[in-house]
Amino acid sequence: MESTSAYIISIVTALVFLLLSAFIANAIKFEGGSNPKDPGKRKMWFWILAVLNPVAILLLGLFAFVPDGNIMVIQKYKTAIYIGTGIGFVLYIVLGFVLSKIFKNGKLGHWF
Amino acid sequence: MDKLFVIAIGGTGMRCLESFTHLCAIGMFDNQEIELLTLDTDQTNGNKGKVEELIRLYTRIKTSGTTDGGTPNANTFFSAKLNLHRYYTNYSGTGRENYKNITKISTGSPEQQKANKLISDLFLDNNSVQEFNLAHGYRAQTHLGSMLMYHGIVEAARNIAKGADVQPQERELETFISKLEKAGANARVFIFGSVFGGTGASSIPVIPKALQDFVKIRSGGTSTIDFSKAKFGSTLLTEYFTFKKPDDKQKSTKEDSVIADSSFFPLNSQAALQFYQSDPTVQKCYKILYHIGWPIESKKVDEENSGHKTITGGATQKNPCHITELLCACAAYDFFTRKNGFDNAKAEYLYKAVEFKNNSFNFSFNDFVGSVNKAGETFANRLGAFFSLAHICLSKNGAAVGDNGIKGFIVQCQQAKLPQYSTITDDECVDINDYFKLFAYTFDGSKFIQGWLYQIRNTVLPGTFLFNSKAFPDTAPELNKLDVGAMFIDGKYHWPDDRRMNNITGDRYTNFVGELINTNPKDEQKVNTTKEKFLAHIYNAITISQNFDLN
Repeated sequence: MESTSAYIISIVTALVFLLLSAFIANAIKFEGGSNPKDPGKRKMWFWILAVLNPVAILLLGLFAFVPDGNIMVIQKYKTAIYIGTGIGFVLYIVLGFVLSKIFKNGKLGHWF
Repeated sequence: MDKLFVIAIGGTGMRCLESFTHLCAIGMFDNQEIELLTLDTDQTNGNKGKVEELIRLYTRIKTSGTTDGGTPNANTFFSAKLNLHRYYTNYSGTGRENYKNITKISTGSPEQQKANKLISDLFLDNNSVQEFNLAHGYRAQTHLGSMLMYHGIVEAARNIAKGADVQPQERELETFISKLEKAGANARVFIFGSVFGGTGASSIPVIPKALQDFVKIRSGGTSTIDFSKAKFGSTLLTEYFTFKKPDDKQKSTKEDSVIADSSFFPLNSQAALQFYQSDPTVQKCYKILYHIGWPIESKKVDEENSGHKTITGGATQKNPCHITELLCACAAYDFFTRKNGFDNAKAEYLYKAVEFKNNSFNFSFNDFVGSVNKAGETFANRLGAFFSLAHICLSKNGAAVGDNGIKGFIVQCQQAKLPQYSTITDDECVDINDYFKLFAYTFDGSKFIQGWLYQIRNTVLPGTFLFNSKAFPDTAPELNKLDVGAMFIDGKYHWPDDRRMNNITGDRYTNFVGELINTNPKDEQKVNTTKEKFLAHIYNAITISQNFDLN
């Protein structure tokens, strides 16, 4: 049960970060000229959030949502959080890649 | 479909032609190949040089590969094909500097010389009018100018008929007139020039007759222009600018003894209008004459001229553009697109009024081209689209400050998965950038240089001129912040600012880029080359974004 909570925290956090990344990408205006910086800015924010995403999962999982229970339960939960952090990181990148290809002509297309 | 011809005469005529060229650039003359003739006495005139460079630039933008000047298109930018012909009366050689020399008054027998002098003195002041330097035009001496312009054209015809001493400018005149002759009753000829100044005012009354005589002389009397069938139209443009009054010191030299004085322009205009009203040749030759004027205080054109001298012509005569010139170009649009009014035995006079409130004029789109067949909306859509594209090129992509302009936009299209325009070369992009600089604005270092549209709008201030005042910023920071999709006074023509999945902030430009991806050039636009398709594609996307009711 506690493991499931850990995975849910990881997935929800990854989705929130992905949403935040999409919002930032949309908010960055198109630039023109010979050296437009907007595609680079979108890519940069995508990867900043990709790095922050596991940090946030760990912080939330280990400090904000620690379940009540014996040491075995906590140990199991922590293991799930560590695995969930990896899953969240991969999920963020995989979903980011998929969205980037779906909206390849738009601003999200600059992620990849 | 009639074949269209435009003749621009003198400094004012050149500036009207400049406005006309910009109307062609925004796409007001679909499917047309238009023959243009610049006609002046002053081959170094700044206004003439400027418009000829503008037309050459236009032609380069249209040119692709071996098709010089491109082909006519429809519903797109630069839709008309323009062919430029240049003619100037030659007053630069020895014996051609002034009236006395060119007419050879002092040659022939003593009896002939005496008769020549008597008749010349009867019409033309002996010490001044007969001796001033003609290289800078006729200096408001229209009685002299009409005679000399007619003489210049007839002399060209004689030289061509003889096949001797034919000057390049005479060949260009011949090419233009040959096309006019070939078009016959299907020719529509519109003449730009003022009635208050020198060269234009001198030439408008005599040009149709001079062209007719040119055809007769060159063909040895076997061909002519039939005025009952040929459609000639012109503007009767009265005074709308002033300049410094010449002082006695400047007038003390013989070659500058006659200088146009703008304080006489209202009087000149009145006299000219009376003449046009009563002259049978004018009444017979012209089908439609458009009265255009500026009934409030005229603007000084030489405020930036720090010297004491009045500029009589030459390369320094480069006056800013005025809205009356755009109205003259719109008169040409009316003349070229109207279906009737050509059966009159006498010239018909046309005019209209514009709202005047709080001591200034307020122009709406219908004031320029009328509302028949939604011409007003079409004009608004095309001018607005071109102006938005100019901002995209000059500010968003930095062409005004030396960045790559339209090339940057093409790269952006490429990133938005529209790679088909990447073959447009850097040189072709530079031409488009340069055109937009002349159309809207540029920077010389940190100094803002107004282009045609900004200059036109300045002459109307504080009255309204088509677009929102925020569409005309003149500093780099303001231009960088400009919303290129919100140019119009009426917000319903602004580009959509809907918040969408891929545009959650509702940025108009982002929505436009989305529109660009979803549109394509159409067959009816008759675009063939990559450059034509690119311009048509942008035209379509902006037209959809502006949402005018054009059907």
